[in-house]
Amino acid sequence: MTEDPAARIGALEAILTEKGIIDSETVERIISYFETRVGPMTGARVVARAWVDAAFRERLLADATRAIAELGIGGLQAEHLVAVENTPRTHNVVVCTLCSCYPWAVLGLPPAWYKSPEYRSRVVREPRKVLAEMGLALPPETEVRVWDSSAELRYLVVPERPPGTEALDEEALAQLVTRDSMIGVGSPRAPGEPESAR
Amino acid sequence: MDGRDRGCEARPGEGSSAIVTSAVHDMGGAPERFGPIPVEADEPVFHHAWEARVLATTLLSRAMLGNNVDAFRWTMERLPAAQYLAGYYQRWLAGLERSLVDQSVLAPGELDARLAGRAPPARGRVRPGALRRARWRRLVRVAVRPVPRWLLPLYLRIQRKHRPAVAPPRFAIGDRVVVSAAPAAGHTRRPRYAWGKRGTIVGVHGAMVLPDRRARGERGPGEHLYTVELAGAELWGGDAEPGTTVRLDLFESYLEALP
Repeated sequence: MTEDPAARIGALEAILTEKGIIDSETVERIISYFETRVGPMTGARVVARAWVDAAFRERLLADATRAIAELGIGGLQAEHLVAVENTPRTHNVVVCTLCSCYPWAVLGLPPAWYKSPEYRSRVVREPRKVLAEMGLALPPETEVRVWDSSAELRYLVVPERPPGTEALDEEALAQLVTRDSMIGVGSPRAPGEPESAR
Repeated sequence: MDGRDRGCEARPGEGSSAIVTSAVHDMGGAPERFGPIPVEADEPVFHHAWEARVLATTLLSRAMLGNNVDAFRWTMERLPAAQYLAGYYQRWLAGLERSLVDQSVLAPGELDARLAGRAPPARGRVRPGALRRARWRRLVRVAVRPVPRWLLPLYLRIQRKHRPAVAPPRFAIGDRVVVSAAPAAGHTRRPRYAWGKRGTIVGVHGAMVLPDRRARGERGPGEHLYTVELAGAELWGGDAEPGTTVRLDLFESYLEALP
């Protein structure tokens, strides 16, 4: 039995294609969807809209799937989307301890660390330590609320709008919203802070 | 600790009640999994081209064969622990192979024969009628451009997991509950770290497909889903970090009322 996954999936694809179950055009289309069409930029649009539009924010917190549909956003793993808002008193962070559930349609595929046994095991047990390790030190008076996505609800964290952004428009604000801030393990960038992948 | 690393195959010849799960997947709070969080700068969407092919082939064949996500998760949860822990896409690949063999779409040894360039000992079968019926599903499920705005209502109607319930919800926001500590008889979305722990209902979400049942391929009415808040100290005792809570989404049959 060969353990080389590239060879195994190649042979499996060939067999499934012969059986008429898959076709390479659709396989390619799915790959391109995950590589180019979904990603944190979509969730960032949602957060920026919530920052500038109080009525949208209310609708987002009430029924996120319906609210993002207003922006033409929806799809895989956002059928039951729940938006949870950070405040000075409460910080939200998301995990899936049982597998690696993640709101694909708004954040794309999860980073490797989100799927790692280390994150999945630790963040429910010692969230403050995990967040500090990832660069987010929270004051002791802020309650940390960990959302373990154990059913089909998927969670999007709405981080706090950074100070000093009053003059920025929605598009500029979306540039500040990082993937990690929407999982709850980071903060949005401050205006002028250099862009990083996280 | 409670058998997390035990072997995990169903014993042949015994009923489903004899299934022993390693629960290697059930990682919440498991100290043997602790370690530094492996954060990577500038991470690509896929690290290798084969990972993308595993993801796409799995999603497409699952949609075409009508395999639900709960059955797929249950298949992965029963992989040997070492295989489960080998990596995310390794686990998907092993789960895909095993579910195709379970469904007789792949004959045992068929893939290995192909890899060795031999004629397969037997070939799995697919009913063409089933595939024809599946083609329309593919349109909404995995013909994935972002779902166009005009298609969203239809997409959500098909994909959302709400189902009619047989009874009104038993619990309301503010109710105190305890999470069942009964051993898992198969697939379940009731994490072990919450077994026997007390919490408060903070969300009531309507009735949805019960994963435990759907993993066995059974239909049935929906079951009410709740969000339950559990205090850190309730889950972890005295060495819990102060000011921390965990919120879990739990089905009605996972919960008992507290007086």
